[in-house]
Parts: sequence; C-alpha cells; structure tokens
Amino acid sequence: MSQSSENEKCFKEREKRVMDVVALKKSDRVPLATISDFYFATSQGVNCREAMYDYDKMAAAWKTTAKELDLDMTGQLFSIMSGKVMDIMGIKGFSWPGAADPAQRLPDHLQYQYHEKDLIQADEIDDFLKDPSDFTIRKLMPRMSETIGPLAMVPVGINALSIPYTMIMGVPMMAALLGDIGSKLKQAGEEHLIWQASQDKLIADLKEMGYPTVHNVTGQCAFDWVADNLRGLKGSMLDMYRQPDKLMALVDLFEPQMVEMTLMMAEMSDIKRVFIPLHKGAGGFMNDAQFKKFYWPSLKRYFLALIDHGLTPEPFYEGDYTPRLEYLAELPPGKIMGHYDKIDRKKHKEIMSGIACFWGDVPGSLLVSGTPEKVKDYVKALIDDFADGGLIVDGSANGLPLESKKENVMALIETVREYGKS
Amino acid sequence: MKELIDAIVAMDEEKAIALTDHMIDDNIDPMKILDAYRDAMAEVGRRFEEGKFFIPELILSGEMLNAASEKIKPLLTAANKSSKKKGKVIIGTVAGDIHDIGKDIVTLMLDINGYEVLDLGIDVPVAKFVEAAKDFNPQVIGMSGFLTMAYDPMKNTVAALVEAGVREEIKIMIGGGQMDNQIRDYVGADAFGKDAIEAVKLCDQWIK
Repeated sequence: MSQSSENEKCFKEREKRVMDVVALKKSDRVPLATISDFYFATSQGVNCREAMYDYDKMAAAWKTTAKELDLDMTGQLFSIMSGKVMDIMGIKGFSWPGAADPAQRLPDHLQYQYHEKDLIQADEIDDFLKDPSDFTIRKLMPRMSETIGPLAMVPVGINALSIPYTMIMGVPMMAALLGDIGSKLKQAGEEHLIWQASQDKLIADLKEMGYPTVHNVTGQCAFDWVADNLRGLKGSMLDMYRQPDKLMALVDLFEPQMVEMTLMMAEMSDIKRVFIPLHKGAGGFMNDAQFKKFYWPSLKRYFLALIDHGLTPEPFYEGDYTPRLEYLAELPPGKIMGHYDKIDRKKHKEIMSGIACFWGDVPGSLLVSGTPEKVKDYVKALIDDFADGGLIVDGSANGLPLESKKENVMALIETVREYGKS
Repeated sequence: MKELIDAIVAMDEEKAIALTDHMIDDNIDPMKILDAYRDAMAEVGRRFEEGKFFIPELILSGEMLNAASEKIKPLLTAANKSSKKKGKVIIGTVAGDIHDIGKDIVTLMLDINGYEVLDLGIDVPVAKFVEAAKDFNPQVIGMSGFLTMAYDPMKNTVAALVEAGVREEIKIMIGGGQMDNQIRDYVGADAFGKDAIEAVKLCDQWIK
C-alpha cells in the first residue's frame, strides 16, 4: 500500500473511531480528539506571537505536533487568529502577543485574551432593538475597531441612504468623513485571505497525513452571543432582574441568526462538526428557573437545527454543567459530541448514558503541574468510569494547555492507547 | 428594618431603594440602615452557599448595597466612618492575565463582609504584589487567574513574597477558572477557594 493510500485509510479509521463513539456505537479503542490550539505551535518552540503572525511557521509546527501526538483528531486551528488582521483592523477588546498597540500587547509566550464588557450599555438596548443594523454600524463597529472608528461620525441613520438622491449627496459626504477606511479594509481583507488560505492548506495537508481536524466551524448560542459579547457578565446578570424582557428580546433577535450563520459557514467546510463554546449557562451563573427561561430554549433549538442539517454539535461545556444534565438529556441520542470541563462524571453516566458520549476531562492543572504517573492514574480512572464505551479523551478546559509538560501529554496518550482498547 | 432586609434578599431592588430613601428622610440612624444591608448580604451569602443564589444575586445585591452606601456615606459621622474592619486583604489578577470578573466579585464580597480590601487590578506584576504586601501589611493575599497561564505567575509571586521575607505572616489564597488544590500546592498557596463566598470564609477562618 502506498503512503498516501495508507494515510487515507488511517484518516477514515480515525474519523470512524471518533464518530462511532459519538453515535454511541462500539469502537476498537477509546478515541483521542482534542480542542487544543496553541499547544500545537508552542510544543515545537513556536511562541504565541509567531503563531499569530507567521502562518507558515505555525503550520509547520502544527504538522510536527500532529505527527508526534498521533491523535484521532487534531485541534482547532481557527483559534490561532491572524495578529496582522487584528492590527490592521485596530481591534479593541482583545490583548494579544505582538499587538501593534503597546497597550494591548501581551508577552510573546501568552495566548490572546478577550476583555468581556458591555458593548451595548444597559440604557442602549432599546436603541439597538429599534434598528440593530444601524446601531451595529455606527456604534458597535467603531467600539470594536479603531480602523472603523470614523463610522461613529456618520450623523444620521444608515437608512437615510435609502433613496437615489442620498446616493448622490449623502454617500460622497460619508466617504469624506470615512477617510481611508476603504483602503484599510481592503488590506485587512487581503491579509485575511492569506491567513484563510494557510488554514485551508493546513487542514488539507493534515488530511493527507491521515489526520482529521476536530472542527473548522464555530457557533454560539444566542444567550452567550448577547452575554459574552454585547452585555457582558455583569450587564446580562443584572438584566435578568432589571430588564428581563429586553434581555429576552436580544436573545430572540439573535437566535435565528446564530442558526443561519452556522449553516452558512458549515456549508463552506468539509468538516461537519460545529464547535459551540458555552459559558453563561454553567452551574453558578444562574439558577434553574433562569436557565430554563433565558438559556436553554434557544440553545436546544440551536442544537436541533444543526442536527437537522446533518451537523454534529460539539458544545464545550465550560465550567460545571452537572446541574444542567437533566436538560442535556432531552437531546436526541448519539448526535452530540459534548466536551466537558468540570463535571460530576458519575452523574453524567447516570443521566446521559445512552444519550451522549463523554469527551474530556483530564484537568489542565494535572497536565501542567502533575507527573506522568498522576496523569496515567487519572486517565485509567476515566476509562474505568466509561468501561462500556462512550468516551473520548482530551484535556479538560481548552484541551491541552500550552503550558502542559510534554511527558504528561504523552502519558495521557499512551495510557489511552494501552488501556483504552476494547 | 426587617422589611428592608426582606426586600434586598427578595432581589426587589425598587422596594429596597424606596425603603432606604424613606428611612433617610425619616432621619433613621444611617448606621442602622447600613447594618440592615449587611444583614441582608449575610443572608445572600448563606443562600449562595446553599446553592439557592448564584452570580446574578451576588451582583444585584452588591449593586443595591453600593447604591445605598453612596446615599448614606455623607450622613455618617467621623466615628461611624472609621468603623473597625475585620482585617486587611490584597486582591489582584496575576501577571499576564487580564480577567477581572471573578476578582471583582471576590473584592465586593470581602468588602461587604467587613474587610479592608486593596484591589491591585489585573495583570499585576510580581513586584507590585511584594511592594503592596510590605506597604499595606495585609493578613491575606488573594491571587486570581482565569487561565492555565496564571499558574507560573502565581508561583513566582509566592516565591517573591518568600524572598522578601513577608510570606510567613501572610496567608495566600488562589481562585479562578482553572485553579484547584493541585495548583494550590504547585504555587505554594495556603488555600484554593472555588468562589467568592469561600474566599470570605477563608479570611474569616484565618483572621479571628
């Protein structure tokens, strides 16, 4: 068998190994699939700044790591965003290594971080709901990007451009106000295409090497879209008491868009798994009644819509989702590939058995500061808990933390290979 | 006062504000009003521990208390203002980590529970923790970190406090998304707290 047909065979076997577990079928071995990102670069000595700015260097490191780890599915590439695009756009709300703006620059060895805040202020929700597109263009976009900042100077609503006369008079006036936004956007767009091409090529190269990529599309549930990005934790938590109807109106507004956007992106990708990081629905963030009212209905409909379109939702249940397991058990069996962070495994087994597999959950703390022996013990216990199947192994929070000790990562992998055979 | 306490615990913000305003207009002793808020906050904390209240209730009750304090502060006498604190605590998110939500909730709960809190903010360099430890002389330092990248800065901070000769007199607690007891041992802290109420309990335990 030639190398390429051997790799093709491995690709199919690996893909099947994981997807069989998702479908609650028996597999030949406990699969290894990761949602890691920067670890693939940093474990080869490529720091986070280089990973975000030198796409070729990042891709070469990623391929070496993929081969070294030899997992059934390699990590999430799109997390390693383009630092160059972020610079050209003058992105606000992030800090990252290598940022052109020193105020937003992190040291080279750190991954980027997101500043959660209320982009829409508490007293602006009505304005936003009245005309979401105009508010987005003239208020939110300038708040997110220095480059697009001049849009804030447009003195009238964008729908003032709805007749031919304003196309003659209004558009040139706007163009004068906007200065060189156009050329900056062109530059950002060109850079984005370069970055995108490098990502697509890497996924294709990995496929040729026999390694499926865990996912290439990400989505968000409507509540987190609003709470993580538009209202912030404090804002959204207070809205539940102070202006619950407005909060629900925001969630309702974005719910269909979440589905539409995800389906559009999934259409463009060969990988039919969709990563959905979940945040504010975790235990501790709201009580059961609040979860039932604000969070779960739109999330459930989102999952079902994706499943209806032949996609596999990959929710990342960040935090503790133990109190929500009864809700997750309402989902159709064998369709969800849920990644867990902190969860009561016994309860998961009790409630989710026959409904969804378990993906996780070796703690980052152990991978960073533990020993190979401790990792081995943890993974063995994990496999024992799911002895009758339904397990995919990975690190807990973001897969393999970039600070992980290599010997601990290898201990995780070797234990699964030795101990996880059917 | 019971009505005010009940309103706060019921998260009835409008009623709590109206009752507070009414009491101020009636020249009720401002310290008594503040005490009612403190009692209510203690009940909120209890319900949080029992798993009946969650982050929204901590944030909203904190907002109610802050709004009331703003109104009441100007009415307090000098003697009232210098009410005795339970102890001193330094809080900060460690170097390289810019997350502030958890840290802010811990700061709020410690403050409400009678501690004098020095919040050093986010991305706090090791040297700043050491300097503040010497100047502020706290009994407790709380280090916050959301990501796994916070492990080493925490470890370095503890090492620097040892180096500076101040570690022995200070208890150190850590908290945040990826923290646990394994990391408590790794960084050389005294305790890991899983939430803001645990942070208060640790301080209560240490500072008697």
